[in-house]
This record gives sequence, C-alpha cells and structure tokens, in this order.
Amino acid sequence: MLDRIKKDFNTMTWVLIPVAIAINIAIGQLVLVLKLPVYLDSIGTVLVGVICGPWAGALTGALSNIIWGIAIDPNALPWWPVAFFIGYMAGRMAGWGFFKSWWRVVVTGFVIALTAAVVSTPIAVYLYGGITASGSSFITAYLLQTGQGVVQAVLSTGFLVEPVDKITTAMLAFAIIQGLSQRFVARFPRPENASTEGANQTQLYIAVGVVVLLVLFAAFMLRNILGG
Amino acid sequence: MAIVNLKNVTYKYPLTDMPALKGINLRVNKGEFVALIGPNGAGKSTLCYTIAGFVPHFFKGEIAGSVEVAGMMSSESNLHEWVLNVGLAFQNPFNQISGAKYTVFEELAFGLENIGVPRGEMIQRVNDAMELTGISDLADRSPYSLSGGQQQRVALTSILVMQPKVLVLDEPTSQMDPIGTREVFGVIRTMAERGMTVIMAEHKVEWIANFASRVVALHDGEILLDGRPTEVLTSDLLTGKGFPISRYTSVARKAKETGLWEQERLPIKLDEAVGGFKR
Amino acid sequence: MHERLSFFVKRDSLIHRLNPLTKIVLVLAFILVAFISPYFWTPSLLIIFGIIPLSYLGGVVRSYFRAALRIILPAAGFLFIMQALFQPLGGEELFRIWFLHPTRESLEFAFVNATRIFVMVSSFTIFLLTTHPSELMSDLTRRGLPGQFAYVIISTLQILPQMQAKAQTIIAAQRARGLDTESSFFKRAGSLFPLVGPLVFGSLVEVEERAIAIEARGFTSTRVKTSLHEIPDTTADKLLRWALATFILAALALRLWLS
Repeated sequence: MLDRIKKDFNTMTWVLIPVAIAINIAIGQLVLVLKLPVYLDSIGTVLVGVICGPWAGALTGALSNIIWGIAIDPNALPWWPVAFFIGYMAGRMAGWGFFKSWWRVVVTGFVIALTAAVVSTPIAVYLYGGITASGSSFITAYLLQTGQGVVQAVLSTGFLVEPVDKITTAMLAFAIIQGLSQRFVARFPRPENASTEGANQTQLYIAVGVVVLLVLFAAFMLRNILGG
Repeated sequence: MAIVNLKNVTYKYPLTDMPALKGINLRVNKGEFVALIGPNGAGKSTLCYTIAGFVPHFFKGEIAGSVEVAGMMSSESNLHEWVLNVGLAFQNPFNQISGAKYTVFEELAFGLENIGVPRGEMIQRVNDAMELTGISDLADRSPYSLSGGQQQRVALTSILVMQPKVLVLDEPTSQMDPIGTREVFGVIRTMAERGMTVIMAEHKVEWIANFASRVVALHDGEILLDGRPTEVLTSDLLTGKGFPISRYTSVARKAKETGLWEQERLPIKLDEAVGGFKR
Repeated sequence: MHERLSFFVKRDSLIHRLNPLTKIVLVLAFILVAFISPYFWTPSLLIIFGIIPLSYLGGVVRSYFRAALRIILPAAGFLFIMQALFQPLGGEELFRIWFLHPTRESLEFAFVNATRIFVMVSSFTIFLLTTHPSELMSDLTRRGLPGQFAYVIISTLQILPQMQAKAQTIIAAQRARGLDTESSFFKRAGSLFPLVGPLVFGSLVEVEERAIAIEARGFTSTRVKTSLHEIPDTTADKLLRWALATFILAALALRLWLS
C-alpha cells in the first residue's frame, strides 16, 4: 500500500499541489468578492484528489487550509481536517469510478458534502461550542433554540449548507479536467480516474437540474425551519 | 570518443500513432557544438529530451534503439542519475524557476542541495558559476523579479552549477527580446569556449553560423542532413520544407538563377553576401 | 501587491534568533495552556503577560498590533457576539431580543472561547512575524521533513501573489468588456466562469515544464540532501524547549487533578 502511495506522488504531483492550492485560494477569494453564498475553495483539492489519488488530495486540502489561515484569515486554521477529508474522499470516489460522467460527479460531490459536514461537526462543537464565526451558525443557533442537541444542530446545519457548495465544486473540477488535454492528464499518477464515459450535454443538464432541485429543497427546508 | 551515441533510435509518445523520432543515428564527440534545426514538429524537442534522458523516463512511451550519453545507457539508468551528467534548459525562462527559493543564490544552490553537495563546495560552485555567466550582481534578487533574459541566464547557470558533461538547450532564446538573446548566447558561447559539449535546437540561423561546429537538420523525425554549418545551412535540400533559412542565402539562391551570384557556395551572413555578389 | 507572500518582518531580535522548532513549541504551549485551563481568565492572562511582551521581545509590536486590530480582534469579537447571543446556556437571562437570550453563563462561555481563539491566532501570528519561511523549512527538512513538503509550501507562498495578480488582471479585463461584478445574483454567478477559466488553465499549463525543470535539478535524487543555510540550534534553544514541554505536561497534570 505504501508503494501505491509513493507512486501517487511523482514530480508532476508535487508541482501540481502548489498550483492547486493557489487555485483554491484565488477562486475562494473571488467568490467572496462576488458575494456568492458558497465557498468554492476546494476545487483544486478535488482536482488533485482525482488525478493524483486520495492522499495527494488530502495533503492538498490540509495545506490549502493552513496556508489560507496563514495568509488570509487565521480563523480558517482549525478546519484543516475538513479539507483533508474532502481531498481524501474525492480521491477515493474517483478511484471507485465516480468521476467519469456528470451524474457520477454529482454523487461524488454529495458524498464529499456529507463527509465535510461530519468532519466539521466535532471541530465546531469542541473548539467553538457549536457556534463558529461563519454565517451558517445562524442556522445552528436557531436549531439550538428549538431544543436540538448541539451535535445534532451542527450536523444538520452542515447537511443543509454543504451539498450545493461541494457538488458545484466537484462539477467545476470535472469541467476543468475535461478541458485539459489527454496527454497532459496522462502525466499524472491516476489518469484513469478522469477518463470519460459519456460526458455529454444531456447528462450535464440532468446534473444541473439536480443541483437546482437541491437548492430549492434547501431553501424550502430553511423557510420551514425559520418560519416554524 | 563519442560522448553522445544514438543508434537507430525510434520513439513514440504515449497515446500517439506516429513516431516522433525515426531511426535516429547521431554521434557527438566531446567538445562539439551541435545545432539542431528543423520545422515545428520535426522532432527537435523530442531529440533534446532523448539526449537529456526525459525521453523515455519522464514521458514514458515506446523507444527502440540504443541511447548512450556520457557513459550511461538509457535502458539501464534512472532519470535522477542521468541529470547529473546531462543538463537541460528550454524555451520558457519563467517555468524553469523552481519556486522553492527566495533569492537567485538560493535558486542556484537548489540543485546542489538536492544532490547532497557539502555546504562549502556548494557556495564555491555557485559563486564560480555566477561569475562565469556574469550574474553575480543578481545574487540577492528574487528570481521572479528578473527580466526574461536574466531569468534565462539564471536557468542556464543553475544547470551549469551541476557541472554536467553535456548541455542540451531547446530553443533557449525563442522567448527572448534581442537584448535577452544576446545575453543568453553570450553565456552559451562562454561555455562552448570552455570545452562544454553543447547540443542546441535553434531557429536563428546567423547565430548558428557563428557558434556551431556542426548542424543537424531534422525533418519529420528523421535526420535529413548532418555536417558543417556552411554546407548544411546553404543546402538546397532545406528549401520548401519549413526550415529556417538565412535571408541572405535565399536572396543569393534566387540571384544565382539569373546569374547575379556566381559563387558555388551560398552565403549565410551579411558580410559573406556583400562580398560575393557579382560586381 | 507584495512580491512574495509572508508575514515575516526582518529584525534581529531575541525571538528572531530562536530556532524555528523552539518557536513552534512555544506556540503549542500557548495554545495548549489556553485551551486546557479550566479558568476563564487564563487566556486573557496569556495575552497580557505572554503575547504582548513577546511582541516586544520580537521587535514586531507595530506589525502585531496592526494584525491584531485588523484581523484577529474582529474575528474574535464576532465570535464573542455570536456565542454570547446564540449559545443557549442555562441560567439567569440578561435580556431578550427576538429569540436571543444571553445569560451570564453564555457571556462567560463566549469570553473564554473568544480569548482562547485570540491567543491561538496571536501566538501563531507572532511566530510568522519572526520566522522566515525558508528558514523554517530548512530547519524542518534537517529534522526529517521530506524535501518535497518544503518545496510545496514555499512554492505555494510564491505562486499565490502571482495568481492573485493574474486574477486582478482578468477581472479588470472582463470589467472592460462589460462584465458586471456588482449586479444581480445570477449575473454574478455567471461571471464566475469567464474569470475562472483563463486563471486555472493558464497556471496548469506551467506544471509540466516546471516538473521537468526541477527534475533536471535533481528533485528526485535519492541522495541525502544538504542545506545551503545553517540554522543554529543553541543550548538555550534546547533548554527552552524542555522547559516548555515540562510546563505543558504540568498544565495537563494540573487539569486532570482538578477535574
């Protein structure tokens, strides 16, 4: 197993990781400037996870978070395990063939979202007591008022907030890989994860449709929670 | 003694149908300065990468024939051993900056740190190399703050500091402005004068005529011509295939048809041309 | 725009001269003590008698205070307000707005958390202000960190400002073409794509050539690496690390004994 991991880290991987981290941070900041209600700060992480394997993805995520914490906002520092697992799951799902078509990418995004929610819960609970410095804490606060336990409230918030962001992230990473030449992707340790079986237009529309449905669902749930 | 010996080398990149190199036979002796010319897609870069070991160890693909450089056999060596003897620099100076170091001095030492050279010797080698290539004044600058020509000179120096036996250059001045080109060729000439074996892919015919002791013309993955610059660069075989040809050569060739150029040999440089026209 | 990305301020102070590992242990000590201690006043004490004197010793008072005021305090303050208002801890209510009802307990809770985070981020900031990245990486590599990690971290720190500059250029170019970054939600979401494309693909193209370049410089060499810079590790450093480690263990023991 160790050999497989070593193979995942060839020179191309080591050179890609800084670029992926920079992409994470640049797009993450861009999204803040555009005031969109998503993070989109893990696109590079997912990219590395897919074409270089889960451990490379994990490393990219962790370092990305730490460097964001060093260079931009130190509040991001404690959350590195979340980014670690985002990269790891992206790599694992891709290894199981879930990054080869649009709908599979949506599934991967969903799985990553759930992972992110689960991993971020203990950090939010033990380090911050449930209420963090993020906007989503308003939702957590309300859930707490309704009598839910801290863990349940934080987890629910995560399940609500993460899917849109992570599915979009996965889809963007997929779009990027589609735009790269096969020759280029072949240089990386796991090009087979990115080989496409039918990345056609219809599937794209279906995938976008799913995302829109999810957004509507989340908005509906939110209205119910806040109005009830 | 041949320091580079390619025998019947045929190579195909992965995911391609056509071989990039077909039956290449090339012997280069120590101290020679070989210029590689050819149209785009002729295989110049591939040949450079082959001599430098990146084909096939970095690019994978299928290779046939034998590649021997500086006593190493390609089939028996690793890339990290190969680069100790063969240095490679290419077109884009920006992409040759490692990114791992904050000053030029550290950047030059990067390669030596990787191969485990002791600190004292490291510092000595870097200082010597900087003096040789004339970049001692850039030692404390950030590599990213330099001009294209300066960056390319730093890239060359960082290879020279590894003390390779063969220097492979893939169009090192393609992205330079005229000043940068002159600076870079200056460094290359210094190395050639010190006896370094140089193999350089290049378009600028006049510079080749000044520097090279030998010119190899590549076309479609095969060697078309291999000989002295004055013969190869003026050969009629190069016409119509996309090879870089000196304008003086072209003018004189045309003039020959109407009898205005009587000499057997066509000129390459301006002074040759001026001297040769029928009065 | 900074040419390179780092907090580092060049000085010749006591803290600057400490070995990087010593400083890391110091930061860990601050963080662990702040979080382990059951007393709500510990983090505050650490700030007054630990962080601020440390910034003097490091000669980085101005830089630290600037960072503290612009980044750390607002974040900690926001956290304090959020937790004071939203954390439903039992006890006597202080006042009620909508569904918010802060109590004395929640105020104390918020205060502890906010000051703990403040200590964590501050100690880390001072570390960054007094330690040059390449010095840190050289030292860690000497102690066994694989060279590739050091490469990744410093390379990222240098690529980031370039990427941000590229992003600015692309945004400006798109604005000139009529792309609006301040209009409706859908326009803003749509404007993401023409911004992201050139940025991402432009930087990915460089990856292959850079990989070749560092391979040509022995990046994958199996020999034992040497280092250009010698980072001193004095006896004082080693003693300090032992003292800090003992202090941390004592704090842990105290906490266990108290509970």
